[in-house]
Amino acid sequence: MAAVQVCEAEKVYIMHGVRDDLRVDGRGCEDYRHMEIETDVVSNTDGSARVKLGYTDVLVGIKAEIGKPKPAAPDEGYLEFFVDCSANATPEFEGRGGEELGSELSCTLYKVFNNVNSLELRALCIAPREHCWVLYVDVLLLQCDGNLFDAISIAIKAALFNTRIPKVTITEGEEGGAELELSDDPYDCVRLNVENVPCIVTLCKIGHRHVVDATLQEKACSVAGLLVSVTHKGTITCVRKVGGGSLEPESIFEMTETGKRVGKALHAPLMKLLRDEEAQGKQRQKVGFLG
Amino acid sequence: MPVDTKRVRGPEESQSPLLFLPSIAKKSVAAERGRQDGRRRGQADVRPVFARCGLVSQAKGSAYIEAGNTKLICSVFGPREAERKDEAGASSGRLLCDLRFAPFSCPNRGAWIPSSEDKDTAQGLLEALRPGVRLHRYPRAQIEVNVLVLENDGSALAHAITCASMALADAGIEMYDVVLGCSLRLDGNSFLLDPTLQEETAGEPGAQGSVTVALLPSLNQVSGLQADGDMREDTLAEAVRACMEGCHKLYPVIQRALLRAVHKRASPSES
Amino acid sequence: MAGLELLSDQGYRLDGRKPSELRKVQARMGVFTQADGSAYIEQGNTKALAVVYGPHEVRGSRSKALHDRAVINCQYSMATFSTAERKRRPHGDRKSSEMSLHLKQTFEAAVLTSLYPRSQIDIFVKILQSDGGNYSACVNAATLAVIDAGIPMRDYVCACSAGFVENTAVVDLCHAEESGGGTVMSLALLPRGGQVALVQMDARLHQDHLDALMEAAMTACRSLGQVLDGVVRQHLQEVSVLTAE
Repeated sequence: MAAVQVCEAEKVYIMHGVRDDLRVDGRGCEDYRHMEIETDVVSNTDGSARVKLGYTDVLVGIKAEIGKPKPAAPDEGYLEFFVDCSANATPEFEGRGGEELGSELSCTLYKVFNNVNSLELRALCIAPREHCWVLYVDVLLLQCDGNLFDAISIAIKAALFNTRIPKVTITEGEEGGAELELSDDPYDCVRLNVENVPCIVTLCKIGHRHVVDATLQEKACSVAGLLVSVTHKGTITCVRKVGGGSLEPESIFEMTETGKRVGKALHAPLMKLLRDEEAQGKQRQKVGFLG
Repeated sequence: MPVDTKRVRGPEESQSPLLFLPSIAKKSVAAERGRQDGRRRGQADVRPVFARCGLVSQAKGSAYIEAGNTKLICSVFGPREAERKDEAGASSGRLLCDLRFAPFSCPNRGAWIPSSEDKDTAQGLLEALRPGVRLHRYPRAQIEVNVLVLENDGSALAHAITCASMALADAGIEMYDVVLGCSLRLDGNSFLLDPTLQEETAGEPGAQGSVTVALLPSLNQVSGLQADGDMREDTLAEAVRACMEGCHKLYPVIQRALLRAVHKRASPSES
Repeated sequence: MAGLELLSDQGYRLDGRKPSELRKVQARMGVFTQADGSAYIEQGNTKALAVVYGPHEVRGSRSKALHDRAVINCQYSMATFSTAERKRRPHGDRKSSEMSLHLKQTFEAAVLTSLYPRSQIDIFVKILQSDGGNYSACVNAATLAVIDAGIPMRDYVCACSAGFVENTAVVDLCHAEESGGGTVMSLALLPRGGQVALVQMDARLHQDHLDALMEAAMTACRSLGQVLDGVVRQHLQEVSVLTAE
C-alpha cells in the first residue's frame, strides 16, 4: 500500500490530538470523512457504485453470469470477488505489484460477504445442481488514502443494491434438456435484498484510544487495528485483527463495542441515500467522473 | 505435464463421494448435549496436546504438534538475506508464512497448490505471529515459516500458530513471547472449545460462528483474532475470553516441550 | 459484411451519425489529488481514466535510466467489468501489452523527454467502459493528464480511429462498427504541425483509398484537438478563479 513517511514529531502531534478527541483534519475519534456515493456509473455492468471517502476512491462493478453451483451447496448461487489494485492508485501497484494486496483484500471480502447471513444465496439459484447466478464483484481501487475496507464494503453494498439480474425462465428443450431463456425486458428483473449485507468498520488503535476511518498518516501511527463487519441489526459477522501489532484483550472489547455502534449507525443513512437516489430515476443527473 | 497415454485417465471433473452422504450425521452433533469425544460444552476443555521440537534436521528450527487427530509439522528457515530488497523493509526483517494442507489431510483430497483460502489462512498465521517476533533485530533479513497440516481434524489455524511459534523459538529467533492459538465454535447458545472437524462443519449454517484467538500469554496481549459468523457483541467477548483460557491451558505443555528441546541441545550426549 | 448495415442508404451510421461525425466528447482534468496529473474522458460510451506520475527518479533497476532523456513508462489496463463479457485479468495479456507499447511510442514522440534526463514519467491508463476506440480514448485522456501534470509537450496528441465502409471514410468507430472486421485505422496526430505520432492499421485496404482515410482521420484528430484545447482552457480558468480568491 502507498507508504507515507511520518516523522516522530508528527506522530506525537497526531497521538496527542487523538487523546483529546481532535484529529488532524478536525474530526472526532468516531467520525467518518466526507463521503460521496453514486450508483449506476458503468453501464456495461449489472450493478455498479463509486464511493469516495476523503481521498480514497473505489469503483465496484457487478456482473451476473450463469454458472454451475458449487457441489457443496447445490441450491445456492455464489459471489466471486476480485480486487484490482490498479496502478492509478499508486505506481507501486504497476505490473504484478498490486496482486498480493488484491488477493488479500478479496479473501477477506469473500469471508465477509459470501455467506447466507448477508445475502440470500438461494435466490441466486436457477436450477439446483445445474445452473445458478454467479455474481462477479470487481473492485477497482482508484485512489488509496487509508480505510480501504470501509469504502469497499459500502461500495459493494451500494452496488448490490443497484444490481438487477434478468429473470430467467426454464423451458423444456426439444431433446428433453432444460433450456434457459433470459428475459429481454430490462425492467423484468430480480433485485437483491441487501438489508442484511454488513458494512465493515476498521478501527485503528492510536495511543490509548481508537479511531475509525483512519487516514494513511494516522494508520502509520497505529500499531494494530481491528476490522469489524456489522449488520444493520448490530450483529457482528466478522472480526479480524489487522496491522502488525498486538492488542490488549480489554481494548479489543472496547473496539468491537465502538465498531458495533458506529457500524450500526452507518446502515440507515446509507439505505436512505440509496433509496432517494433510486427514486429520482431517470431525472438524476449522472455525475460520474465529470463532476 | 506429459500425458501417459497407456493409462486410463479419470474423468476431467470428479467429485468426492462424501458429498452424496445423507446429511443425518450433520444433525446429530447439534442435538447432543455433550460432545462426541466426551468433552463438555461451554468449558475450557481442550484436547490433550503432544508437542515436540526439533525433528526436521535440515531446518533451523522445527516443531510437531498433535491435538486429538489434528497433526501439524512446522519448520523455520532463516534468518537469511532478504530476496526482496525494497527500501521500506530495510529497517526490520520480513516474516514469510506458508501454510499448506497436505492433499490427504482433509476428507476431500486437496491440491498441493494452495487455494486462495489456504493463502488467507497463511495470512492469518502471519498476522498472529508477527507481533511476537522481534523483527527489528533482523534488518534486511527474512525468516521463513512453513507449516504443513498432516491431518486436519479441526482448529488447524490455532494449532498452526502454536506450532509455528514453537518452531521459531526452536530456531533461536528472538521473540517477545510464545504465541499460542486456540479456536472455538459457537453452536447456538453454547460454545465448543478446540472443535474437531466434524464440529466445525456441522449444524445449521445460520446459527454458527467460529473464533480463533492468538495470545502472547505472559504479556497478556492478543496478537491475532479472527471471528466469523453472526454473533452479538457480548457473545464475541465471551468467546474471546474462553479462547484465552484455552490458550493458558496449553501454555505449560508448550513451555515443557521447549525446555526439553533446550536441555537436549545443551547436552546432546545425555539424551 | 452480412447482417449489419454500417451505412444506411441515406448515408447515416448505426447510431445516426454522419460518416465524419465524432461522438460526444466530455473530459475533465485533475480528477485525483494524489497523482501528479490525472484526467478522465468520455467519448460516447467509451470511458477512460489516465493518471501520470513523475517525472521522478527511475524506479526499479537503474540500468533503465537514459542519460539524455526521460524514460516513459506506460501501462494500459481494462477494468474487468469494462467489456460486455467479463475479463479475467485487467492487464498483462497480449493485447494490453501491445497497447501499452503503442502508448509509449506515441508519448515518446510528443513529450519533451530531453528536458528530464535520467528520470521517469509514468502514464497509467484504465478503460472503465469500452465501446470502441479504446486506443484513441486512452491517448486523449493521457494527453490531458500529462498537461495536468505540467510536463511540457510539443503539442496535444490527439488520436482517432477511422474505418472504410462502402467507399466512405467513417471516423470514431463504436464497438459494433469495429467488430465488423473491416479496416480500422488508429491515428495519433500532433495537430499544429500535422505530424503523425503513431499510425496503425489492421485488415487490408486498397492503396487508392489510403489517402482519403488518412485525411478523414486527421481532420477528426484536429477537431478533437480543439475539444481538448477547450477542456484545458476551461480547467485553467476554473483553477485560476479558485486560486485568485
